[in-house]
Parts: sequence; C-alpha cells; structure tokens
Amino acid sequence: MSQGRTLTFNIFRYDPQEPDDKPKMVKYQIEETPGMTVFIALNMLRELQDTSLQFDFVCRAGICGSCAMVINGFPTLACRTLTSKYPKGEITLMPLPGFELIGDLSVNTGKFMRELAERLKLWLQPNADDVDVHRLEAPMDPEEAAKLYELERCVECGVCVSACATKQMRDSFVGAVGMMKIARFELDSRDERTVEDFYHVIGNQDGVFGCMTLLGCQDNCPKDLPHMQQIAYLRRKMAVALV
Amino acid sequence: MKLIYTDSLVVGAGLAGLRVAIASKERGLDTVVLSLIPAKRSHSAAAQGGMQASLGNTVKGMGDDEDIHFQDTVKGSDWGCDQDVARMFAHCAPKAVRELTNWGVPWTRVTKGPRQVVVNAEKVTIEEAEEAHGLINARDFGGTKKWRTCYTADGTGHSLLYAVDNKAISLDIPVHERVEALSLIHDGKRCHGVVARCMITGELRAYIAKSTTIATGGYGRIYEVSTNAIICEGIGQALALETGVAKLGNMEAVQFHPTAIVPVGILTTEGCRGDGGLLRDKDGHRFMPDYEPEKKELASRDVVSRRMTEHIRKGKGVDSPYGPHLWLDITLLGRKHVETNLREVKEICESFLGIDPAKDWIPVRPTQHYSMGGIRTDKTGQNPQLKGLFSVGEAACWDMHGFNRLGGNSLAETVVGGMIIGKYVADFCQENTLEINTGLAESFVNKVRNEVDELVEGPGTESPFVLRKEMERIMMNYVGIFRNGPELEKAVTELQVLLKRAKNLGLKCKKRHANPELVEALRVKRMLKVALTVACGAAARTESRGAHAREDFPQRNDKDWLNRTLSSWPDENSLTPELSYEELDVMKMELPPGYRGYGINNAIAHPDTDKREKEITEILSELGDNADRYQRQQALMPFEVPEALMARNERLCDNLDRPVSAVPGEESEGEQAL
Amino acid sequence: MAITKTIKNCSGWLDMSQSVSGVILAVFLWTHLILVSSILLGADAMTWIAGMMELNFLSADGHGYPWVVTLIAIAIASLVLVHVLIAVQKLPLSLRQQIALRKQMSSISHGDTKLWVWQAITGVGILLMLPVHLWLIGSAPETIGPSGSADRIWNDGVWMLYMPLLFCVELHAAIGVYRVAIKWGAARDLNSRARMKKIKTIVSVVFVVIGLASLLAFLPHA
Repeated sequence: MSQGRTLTFNIFRYDPQEPDDKPKMVKYQIEETPGMTVFIALNMLRELQDTSLQFDFVCRAGICGSCAMVINGFPTLACRTLTSKYPKGEITLMPLPGFELIGDLSVNTGKFMRELAERLKLWLQPNADDVDVHRLEAPMDPEEAAKLYELERCVECGVCVSACATKQMRDSFVGAVGMMKIARFELDSRDERTVEDFYHVIGNQDGVFGCMTLLGCQDNCPKDLPHMQQIAYLRRKMAVALV
Repeated sequence: MKLIYTDSLVVGAGLAGLRVAIASKERGLDTVVLSLIPAKRSHSAAAQGGMQASLGNTVKGMGDDEDIHFQDTVKGSDWGCDQDVARMFAHCAPKAVRELTNWGVPWTRVTKGPRQVVVNAEKVTIEEAEEAHGLINARDFGGTKKWRTCYTADGTGHSLLYAVDNKAISLDIPVHERVEALSLIHDGKRCHGVVARCMITGELRAYIAKSTTIATGGYGRIYEVSTNAIICEGIGQALALETGVAKLGNMEAVQFHPTAIVPVGILTTEGCRGDGGLLRDKDGHRFMPDYEPEKKELASRDVVSRRMTEHIRKGKGVDSPYGPHLWLDITLLGRKHVETNLREVKEICESFLGIDPAKDWIPVRPTQHYSMGGIRTDKTGQNPQLKGLFSVGEAACWDMHGFNRLGGNSLAETVVGGMIIGKYVADFCQENTLEINTGLAESFVNKVRNEVDELVEGPGTESPFVLRKEMERIMMNYVGIFRNGPELEKAVTELQVLLKRAKNLGLKCKKRHANPELVEALRVKRMLKVALTVACGAAARTESRGAHAREDFPQRNDKDWLNRTLSSWPDENSLTPELSYEELDVMKMELPPGYRGYGINNAIAHPDTDKREKEITEILSELGDNADRYQRQQALMPFEVPEALMARNERLCDNLDRPVSAVPGEESEGEQAL
Repeated sequence: MAITKTIKNCSGWLDMSQSVSGVILAVFLWTHLILVSSILLGADAMTWIAGMMELNFLSADGHGYPWVVTLIAIAIASLVLVHVLIAVQKLPLSLRQQIALRKQMSSISHGDTKLWVWQAITGVGILLMLPVHLWLIGSAPETIGPSGSADRIWNDGVWMLYMPLLFCVELHAAIGVYRVAIKWGAARDLNSRARMKKIKTIVSVVFVVIGLASLLAFLPHA
C-alpha cells in the first residue's frame, strides 16, 4: 500500500528535569515499513536516531493502556495506530495534556489513576463480608455479569481525562474515568453502597453536576465505552435522589 | 543512600505479586510493592482466555473435580512438574475463583436452558441445568478433559488484575511505580531486600525487608517474536541468578503459543479454538485432525505449535513477507459470538491487521509465549538457597507446569500461587526479625552505582540495542520450537560472544535520570545471562519433554531425564552458568509417568514406574471399595496447604440428587488416562 | 430515597436549574421568533398577534395591557439572570483555567468542545446585547407592532443590535438544547446523537433564516 514512503514525525521534546531544557517540537524522518504502527516507528527512532527519546509502551497490543498520546490532534493508543492511516505521511505526537509530564511523550497516568481510586474508593465494597471460599458461590444474574464486564473494560489510558476540557479547567473534577467506575460499582449487586453513598462522592460540582457534556471522553475512548449513556444515567439517578 | 525498610517486599505488581502483598498486608505486615509500571498495566491483564478451576457448574464441566484437574496438569507438564504442587494448586483453584468474586470479578455466569456451542466444528446444543443458573461458567481449553476455564468474556486477566489491584488499593498497599530492581541484597544465605533504581529520577534506593518476593513474570522478551509485553525481560530471574547462590529451575522449558498473529506476535486467545475455531493451511485444509485425530485443534499447546511448524515445513504454510504462516478460522462461530465473546480478538484483528475475523481468516504462527522455568522455589514459594527470597507466578519455578503449561493454568497460578505462597510469606515475616546490615546494603548499592557510572562515563562503545537484537535473533533461530545439538551449541557460543561484548557497553545519552538507553543497557547485560541459562539447559537436556523438543532426541527419556534442570551463576566473570539436576521421585508420585496421549508412545520408561504402579494398585486395594476419592488421594500422596485453605471444595453436584454426568457419551473425549 | 439534609452543596439543584431555565428560554425564544415572524404574513397578522400578547381581548377598549409585555420582559430577564449566574461558574474564569483550556484545545481537536466554546462566546454576546433589547421593549411595550417595531429596527438603527443578537441566540439555544438532551440521556446510542446534532444545526439555520427574513420584512413598514 504505502511501502517505502518517508514518514515525517514531529515529536514534542522536553525533559522537565534538565534545568536548561525548553519544550520544543523536533522533526524526525523514517522509512515506512508494511504494517508499521507508531509503536514500531518510535522504537526505531529511539534505536537509530535518538536514544534519549522517552515514551511508554507495555503490552503493545492495545490492552494495557500505557501508550496513550495525542496523534495529529486525537488522543489515542499509539501501539495500535497504523502509520498508513495518515496519507500525507506527517505525524505529530504530543504527550497527553492534563497529566504530570515525565519527559517527551511519557506522562504519569499511573499516579493520577491511583489517587483517583483512593479518593473515590473505586473498589468493590461487598455487602457480605465473610464469604466462605470453600462453599458454592452466590449466583449472579448472567445479564448483570455481562453488563458489569462491559463497564469494566476501561484500561485507564487517560485519554478521556485529556480530552475533557472540563477536567483540564478544574483539577478536582473526577472526569469520565471516575464516573464510569462509579457507574460500574453502582450497577454491581454485590456492592453495599447505596445511591446516597455515591451521591456523596459524585453528586456535586466535581462529579456529574460539574460535567458539561462536552463528550471528549466518548468521542476518543479507545475502548468505545458508553460514557455518554453512563454519565447521563448517573446524573438522572443523582437528580432523582436529590428530588 | 536512601534506605526504605519494610516487612514484606514484593517486586512486580502483576496478579501474583499483588496477591502476595495483599496476604502480607492482611496479616498487618508493612508491605511495599515495586513495579516498572502502574500495577494495572501489568502483563497479567493480557491473559484473555481464563483461569482453570474445577467448579463444575456448566453441564460440560459437571463431574469435574480436583483429581481431574490435577491429572490434566500433570499430563500437560509431561510429568515434569512437582506433583505435590500441582495438587496444592488444583485444590485451591476453586477457592481463588470464589475469593475473586468477592473482590469484584464479574465472572461470566451460566444461563439455564439450551445454548448453542461449537464443538469440533459442529454446532451443538447443550442444556444448562436450572440449578446452575447464575453460577460461574467455564469454557473449553486445550489439554483439559472437562470444560474448566472460568472467564469474563475475553478480558479475564484484565478484570482479575483490576479487581486484585483495587483490593490492594483498598488495603492501602503502596506501589512504587517506575522503579526497577537491579540487584538482590544478600549475604549468601539470607536475602535482605533489593537495590532499585527510580526510572524517573535515577535515584538508587535500598529496600530492606524480611521477605523479598520476586513476581516479575517471564523472560519471553529474550526472543525476537513473543506474545509477551515488552517488560517481560527476565530481570527477576537475572536478579536471583546474579546472586551466584540462588538457582533457577527448568529455564529451557519455554512454551510457544500456536496462534499469535503475523507479523506483530500479538496473541489471539486459545478461546478461539476452545470455542470451535479451526486451523487451516494454504489450501484451506483443516490439517490438525490429520496429526491429532482425537484432540485436533485442542491438543496441548506445545503439540499444536509443533504440528503447525511441521506442517509449515511440509510447504503447506501461506507465504508472506514475514515468512510462512497458517490460518485461524473463527468465521464459523458467527458474528454475534465473535463480537461478544471474542471482542478483544476482533479489536486486535481490526487494529493490527485491518481484517474482520467474523469474515476473514486470521494469519497466525507459533510464537514464544510462556516461561515455565524461573526462580526455583520449594512448595512454600521460598528459594531453597537463599532464605527470605520468595518467588511466585511466571517468575518462579514453583513447578506446577513442568515442561509444558496448560492454557488457563498460568492465570490460575498467579492468583492460586499468590494465595498459597502469600500465606507462607506472611508466616515467614511473622516468624523472622528484620536483619539490618547497612554496610551490606551499601556495598550492593555501590556496586549498582559503579555499574551505572561505568555505562555513563566509561569508554565503552557497544550499543545495548544492537546486542539486544542479536540476542533475540539467536534465541529465535537456535533455541526455538524444534531444537538440535549443533544449533544449541551455536547459540551458546554466540551468546557468550555477546556477553563478552556487553562488558564494553557505552551510552550515547549520558543522562543519569530518565534515560531509556541506560535502562536498556542495564537490562541487556542481565538478559544475556538469562538467555544463556535457557540455551545451556536446552543443549544439555538430550531428550524431548513437553515444550522442549529435540530433533536429535525425539523421545521422552524418563530413565535419564526425569529431573529438573537447575542453573546458577557462581562466578560473576564466567561465561557459562553452572548446571545441576534435581531428581523427580517416581516412588512419591500420585500419577507415575505414562502416555501423554499425543502421537506415538515412545517414552523411555523410568525403572521405578512399574514398581510405583504396582504399589499404587496395592494401596488402593487395601483401602477397599468404600474409600472416597479424598481418602484414596490421601493414601497415595498426602499434601499440605496452609490451614485456612485445607477445607474441601463444595460443588453444585454435591447438592443435586440426580446424576450429574454430562451429555451421555461425551464424558471423556480428551486424553485417555494412562 | 431522598438525600438527607446533611448534604450541603446545591450543585445538583444548580445544574438542573441551568438545564430547566435554558430549555424554557429556548422554547420562549423560538415561540417569540415565530410570533415576530408573523410580519411575514403581513402587518395585520402582526398587529393581531401583538394585541393578543397584550391581552386586548380582556380589556373593554380593546387596547389591552401593554404592561403584560413589560412583565414578560422582566420575567425573561430574571430567568436569564439565573441562567447566567449558574452558567458563568462553568466558564474558565481564572487565568490558569484559560491557559489549561487553550493548551488542551491547541493539541486536541474535538468537535463538541469547539461547539461549547461557541456556546460560551455567544453566551457572553447575549449577555451584553440582551439587556438592551429587553429595555427597549420592556420600557415601551405599546410600540410593538408593524410600524413601531419597523421604526425601531430600521430608523433607530437597532438592526445593528438585532442581527448579531439573532445569530448569537439561535446558535446558543440550539447547541444548548442539544447538550441538555444528551446530558440527561436522550441519546441512547451514538447514531441518535449524530441525528440530534444534525437537527440542532438545522434548527439554528432555520431560525436564523426566519429571523433575518422577519427583520427584512419590517423594512417596507419603516
């Protein structure tokens, strides 16, 4: 298809730990190979042209959520972005905005997600505390299990956070990732928390009532999670609880 | 020098590591986890298919129990595993599944009534029991007699890892992210912690602990094409190896997965074949029944991988710029099935191949997938050479997999092993005091600091990236699916040349903080040693067993090789590891070596096998006909797990009055017992 | 299920009030425009409508009560005030917020976020222009009619206010109603959202056209 093209990468470079360094865009060129992804290209650039280039990959299969970055204006997973998608052969890479920059394309999403989980208590709080693991498990509606998995597919890549203008403007806003996870536990019949408990967490300006429905989350989520429907669902639920 | 003290130190924040950390924390121990990456990004998340546990809820799993799971595991291992450990594992697997339910895993559940499944390329309707409705479901996986693999759609690893990490967060267990352990602190007898480097700031820290648990996963990335995440580089094994004391077990046992996509090597789950997918050659012919008429596509992984390679060598592969491959056909499962139960597969096909698997065949070939070998441990997960050093999960050679691992047993090992070993680790921490020798810690920190200095300031010229590529190529070409003496010798020689060159590494980027080239250089030196243990172990083992297939020694040789390879690296400057062997005692086996059920039975028997079989017959006849399966098992091979896990597992069939056999005539379509 | 009193924050009420006031204002706006567009049917039609609005059928002399219009203007003004006070909190008020927003929008391109920026800009425009309009009408309700209005629009030069105001309100209202609908879950899937977005654009265009046509239709009466 597009074999033998020369690709031009414009990559954001900045090392916040170097006292004299300033943010800049640096241009690199590389020969395209068949089936090349941004993952392959970045590794080739590091090996052959600039060994100091920082970026994060782990599974390189679209599963772990490590490699989200802004590619030509769209935040997405770099490992599964084929370079052949860009007919002009020009690719601009920026780190995800809204996260602590480690260097170049690497941002600290892990720290962010851990803090969010601690703040919103994003874990199952089972209504039956002492479950006997030797006994037959309690049945669960198969439909419910399937629905839970649907909401659990989030990989914490941080795309929804960076794509949300509300979150960028207000640090304390929980963002789509927080609300999706709340929605997941709200749905879970094994969780003891009531609507009131969830209201305390997201029934406010930092939660569903601060969301302006800009839908950057929905439109960029690499896992196509139903943010739009879920946040609306939570908002209705919280509003009903209020009234 | 920064010193951090804790009770239980865990290196690696995948499922196994987190599970041990949770067990420690639940005992009130101070616990710290080190990780290269955020915990939820660990490679555990990539296990799509599921974990094996003999719950026996689905009609195709009815009648399943620990005994059958144990037998499948031992046979799968080609009798290379530790049968005690396999027993401990099979016994605790259902408990782990049920525990995870309580931590939030949304296991896929059984829906009562008829349901259509694809078995052996034909649509079959099975009827799920009314009583099973809502209980945890299971799917079919290669090498198992019953449907035993519990799953959540096709994101089992993901939902397990998220549930377990969430549990760890709820217990307030700190995970030090972007920190790489580079050396174990030890005095030759006792392990005291690790020296680790922060990959952001470059700071070197000494973590001092009562117990150090290595749960860093496998070493797949010493190969050029691997399904493993790029962080599975064997650094955990290297840590143990570089002590010169601790030994690694069965490093040559490396599994190749039959169906990774070409060229990138991303895995498509075994669930594809479990659910009824087929393998086809360049003529569209379904070739597996020609080789394995009984198990067909669902034969054990090593068998399918070898059959595929054999078939490609016959010229039946599909040519591509990346070499020949075969086809995986899941179109017959129907679009709905592909889009719900195999969605990750669909996403991978769309994103990395640009094809629609509900319509098109998927290009696949066998690719490095799993490391059965690892840090040798005893049944409690502790290294026999270094007290206080534990290992768990893929990083360890606890040895429930022997020379081949069954699909669904790796994810299971992480949480089951973590559950069992976690308790032993906590016991150890409670029984032992923290020994602090700051001088010792400092000497190890200085050693790593000198290593970094040498790389950054030294006169070396070798590029870590070049050495790494070379190593990967050697392992791929000479230590792959089929092995032979001359090629393995070549691999050893060439790897030794690389190890020498690695003494002359030099960096272009001179930064001491966030510097990917430095990270690479520190790793490649260690990886080369790990690669050498694999190549040397493979060269020495002159038989074929499980995933270790020697073309020049095609028979399994129980007479001479019913043992475990141990490798250590006592002389730092040596270019070869020291190999020794640990015998497996047939007289203690519950299931003496037998026919695995694939190809011709040409194993060279162990002299004790007959003796043990007679003994077993005698023991069982002495027990009489009234003995239940627990008593029989106890009489043959008593095993122990921590007290809290000793209780028997309840199953649905225990509460049903009517007979529980599956669809008549389908009871044992799998491997024949013995 | 009601939430206990312990909850101090009222953001839920505020958010709902913003949605409700917005929808009321949008409905009023569209009704208003349709009423005004009666001029397109001729002077008599508009006179009749204007009379109806002043409730002339209730008064003996048939002149009605022009202060009803003033009341409506006051009611709208207070509703707008509520709407503004709530909405303004969501705008980037501090410099830090503005920088964060600018930085994000410069690297990430996203349609609905751009729409929101337009909504914010038009909102500010409306805030500046609407009071003038309300004052003009509210202070002289009796002048509303074909010739009075035409006089005001074309001879006093108020068209210079009405033209930009028309654009602002029609964009703002349609985007706003689209967003409220999505916000509370009217779109079950992405297709229906795309459809709603299309309808939103059509509504904006149609009302701008009607508004412009109506303004022009006053020209012969001036």
